[in-house]
Amino acid sequence: MPIEVLLVEDSPGDVRLTQEAFREANKSIHLHVASDGVEAMAFLRREGIHAQAPRPEIILLDLNLPKMDGRQVLACIKEDANLKTIPTVILTTSEAEGDIVKSYQLQANCYLSKPVQLDAFENLVKSINDFWLTKVKLPQQRQNG
Amino acid sequence: MKTKFVSRRKLQLAFGSAVLTLLVVGAVSYRSLVESSESGRWVQHTNQVLEKLQDLLAAMQTVESNIRGYLLTGDESFLKVYRAGIAVTEEDQTIVRNLTADNAGQQRRLDVLATLAAGKFRLAEQVLRLRQTNGLEAAAAAIQQGSGKQSMDDFQRLVGQMRGEELRLLVLREEDAKRRLAQTKKVLILGTVLGLLIATVAGWSVQRDNSKSMDSGAKYRGLLEAAPDAMVVVNQGGEIVLLNVQAEKQFGYRRDELVGQPVKNIIPEGFAERLISDGTRTAAEALAQQIGTGIELIARRKDGSEFPIEIMLSPLESAEGTLVTAAIRDISVRRAAEKHLAQMEGRYRGLLEAAPDAMVVVNQRGEIVLLNVQAEKQFGYSRDELVGQQVKNLIPEGFAERLISDGTRTAAEALAQQIGTGIELVARRKTGTEFPIEIMLSPLESAEGTLVTAAIRDISVRRAAEKHLAQMEGRYRGLLEAAPDAMVVVNQRGEIVLLNVQAEKQFGYSRDELIGQQVKNIIPEGFAERLIADALRSVEDALAQQIGTGIELTGRRKNRSEFPIELMLSPLESAEGILVTAAVRDITTRKKAEANLLSKVEELNRSNEELGQFAYIASHDLQEPLRMVASYTQLLSRRYKGKLDSDADEFIAFAVDGASRMQRLIQDLLAYSRVGTKGKDLLKVSSEEALQQALLNLRGAIEEKGAIVTHDPLPSVLADEMQLIQLFQNLVGNAIKYQSPGIPKVHISAVENGGKKWTFSVSDNGLGIDSQYFERIFGMFQRLHKREEFAGTGIGLAICKKIVERHGGNISVESQPGQGSTFRFALAESERK
Repeated sequence: MPIEVLLVEDSPGDVRLTQEAFREANKSIHLHVASDGVEAMAFLRREGIHAQAPRPEIILLDLNLPKMDGRQVLACIKEDANLKTIPTVILTTSEAEGDIVKSYQLQANCYLSKPVQLDAFENLVKSINDFWLTKVKLPQQRQNG
Repeated sequence: MKTKFVSRRKLQLAFGSAVLTLLVVGAVSYRSLVESSESGRWVQHTNQVLEKLQDLLAAMQTVESNIRGYLLTGDESFLKVYRAGIAVTEEDQTIVRNLTADNAGQQRRLDVLATLAAGKFRLAEQVLRLRQTNGLEAAAAAIQQGSGKQSMDDFQRLVGQMRGEELRLLVLREEDAKRRLAQTKKVLILGTVLGLLIATVAGWSVQRDNSKSMDSGAKYRGLLEAAPDAMVVVNQGGEIVLLNVQAEKQFGYRRDELVGQPVKNIIPEGFAERLISDGTRTAAEALAQQIGTGIELIARRKDGSEFPIEIMLSPLESAEGTLVTAAIRDISVRRAAEKHLAQMEGRYRGLLEAAPDAMVVVNQRGEIVLLNVQAEKQFGYSRDELVGQQVKNLIPEGFAERLISDGTRTAAEALAQQIGTGIELVARRKTGTEFPIEIMLSPLESAEGTLVTAAIRDISVRRAAEKHLAQMEGRYRGLLEAAPDAMVVVNQRGEIVLLNVQAEKQFGYSRDELIGQQVKNIIPEGFAERLIADALRSVEDALAQQIGTGIELTGRRKNRSEFPIELMLSPLESAEGILVTAAVRDITTRKKAEANLLSKVEELNRSNEELGQFAYIASHDLQEPLRMVASYTQLLSRRYKGKLDSDADEFIAFAVDGASRMQRLIQDLLAYSRVGTKGKDLLKVSSEEALQQALLNLRGAIEEKGAIVTHDPLPSVLADEMQLIQLFQNLVGNAIKYQSPGIPKVHISAVENGGKKWTFSVSDNGLGIDSQYFERIFGMFQRLHKREEFAGTGIGLAICKKIVERHGGNISVESQPGQGSTFRFALAESERK
């Protein structure tokens, strides 16, 4: 059974790195990608071309996104009664205290800074898998969103 | 009432003559009376003599016969009678002698009689003895022979003569008496007639005078009634004869109730007594002693109440004799006034004694009349030494002169000029030392005239204070002029009182143009307002709030240009109250500099911020692509190592390496820039805890190398905790890293460095550093070793340096190659005083 994960990230380089890292960590993870906030919301709401999109187990969200910025996406998710139960993990290069605070205020489930080093990054992804997708109890999915 | 002088004399005269006549008549009558009684006496006298002579004769004869009888009979009883007879004769002789003492002739005859008698008796004795001894015969013979009979005849004859003489005298006297009587009769008749005449004249005259005095009597009554005082006329018997309506009022009686009453009823004591003449002096004399003097007595009203009076007496001649007119004045008010005065005087004396100042009362002659105990103390005299003395002894000049009246003004005027003002003079103590005084004069009415009370205050202290103040003021003025700043002294009304030459220069005015002017003219706002007292606070409070602080205001020059000034205020006590000294400093240049500084700082801040932003953006934005490069080259290396040719491996290896280094450099750069931009405020931090944290962070390296890290107790310091941890981490990390093989030992200690600073030391047993590199190692990205020897970008010590400098300290190193190194830095203690 694949684990559906939504990655909201605009940098293709980062996307590929994350994919590689997750492949290393857990082969049954099915990583979906949205490259901006709008697409992310469409995916989550199963709108348009994403009508058949699966509901992700967790969302990995970058903050600096074009069009709709990551913070807004976060806010939208957590205001949506339907979507707010999906654990949303901020995964960003920013270490700014302000961003951290804001994210938690917007009810992010946790905040992670992307390390610059590759192996550190790979370890982080492994940790996400270990924690969020193995240890943590996630709510049961309903088949029809 | 006074009888007219003339009629009085007349009366006296008439009276006198009448009296005289009476006296004469009386005298004459008296004499005739005497004479007639005298002639009666003479008759009697003569009869007496005659009788006595007769007796004498008889007695002689008895003697004679008794001798014979004895002679004859020898009977002793004849002798007894004989001896008795002798005594009788002697007695009779004596009587006659006395009776006829005035008549020499009679006396001579008596002498003869006495001789005869004596002879007779001698003979008788002889005969008697003879009889006794020799008997009758002898005795009879002796008698026969004797001259007994002869002497008896002589005796008889003599007595007869004497009788005759007496009778003769009697006749003479009777004649005389008759004559005198006739004379007397004449005189009497004459006298009586004269007397009657005079009496008539006198009486008529008196009558006329009386009627006159009846008129003046009426006039007198009029005066009496109109008199303001109560008038009472009293006779010598002490009875009230006359009184006026005032007397009725004063004593509360009606006239008729008093006339005829003893004056004692209204003046119980002291008046009547003085009038009644006693055996030693007459009424006139008694009165004369009282006339003119006012006598103070007590009078009694009808209702029994008593009141004090003063009576003035004057005599009044009247038909009834000398009367006394008493003018009676009710002196209750005067008495009350006297009592009040005495009371006031008493109170005054009390006040005088209690007065805190020395008080001296002086009379118009400059003599001290009264003084209090303070005066005794101040001048060092005792009271008796001063009373009566000239006040000049205490106050040599300036006081007495002011008092003594001279030709141009009276004492009262002289005084009036002085009253109220305090006069400064010099006083002299008993010891001779002098001291300055201030006297305040006030007049004092008294029975002895106007006195002057002087309150004397020793003003030595005040003088000294004044002198001191003047001195201070002088000194102050000196300072003012010499001050480098402009100084302006302002009074409580905001007027410029004083300024110095600097102030003239600064404001472009001359001194006179500013003194007395409102300070608002040179400092339009902010100064005067701060000084003026308002209802809420006094000048002192207003001032107290300003003192010490420099106040920035604007000053205005004479040419109307304005310039920024700073005022420093300080209060100045002076005779005119509290003044404010303002040091006025032209701060134009300072303001400019400040503005400059401000703008520079702003610029710097901006540039800093820009820099920070720049550094951040640069690093951050650089990071992104760099991360890509590094990550993918690593992936490449991982996935295709050995799958491509060896050149490819080598090329990829270099690429990976380069990318990694670049990443690390950028990270270090970021870290370095964050020391400034992300630096937090310095707070009290436990350096020991910071060290512990740093060691925790380094535990991997510590364990790996087996390093031994020790430390002394470390103090609390003022620091940014994160950065302090960073500092320790870098230094200890270096100490562990730069080691020759062996066990790294690191020791951290701290020493107090006076002035609340701590010098920390991080010592190691590592490689050591050559002195030529001491400076370089703190530079950015400076390394002393190849990358192969030791890892690191060379930013560590630069970061340490930046952290320490941010904390206000310096970092230095002590080292020798192969001897280990000691890095030192100073931090301030947690408490900043």
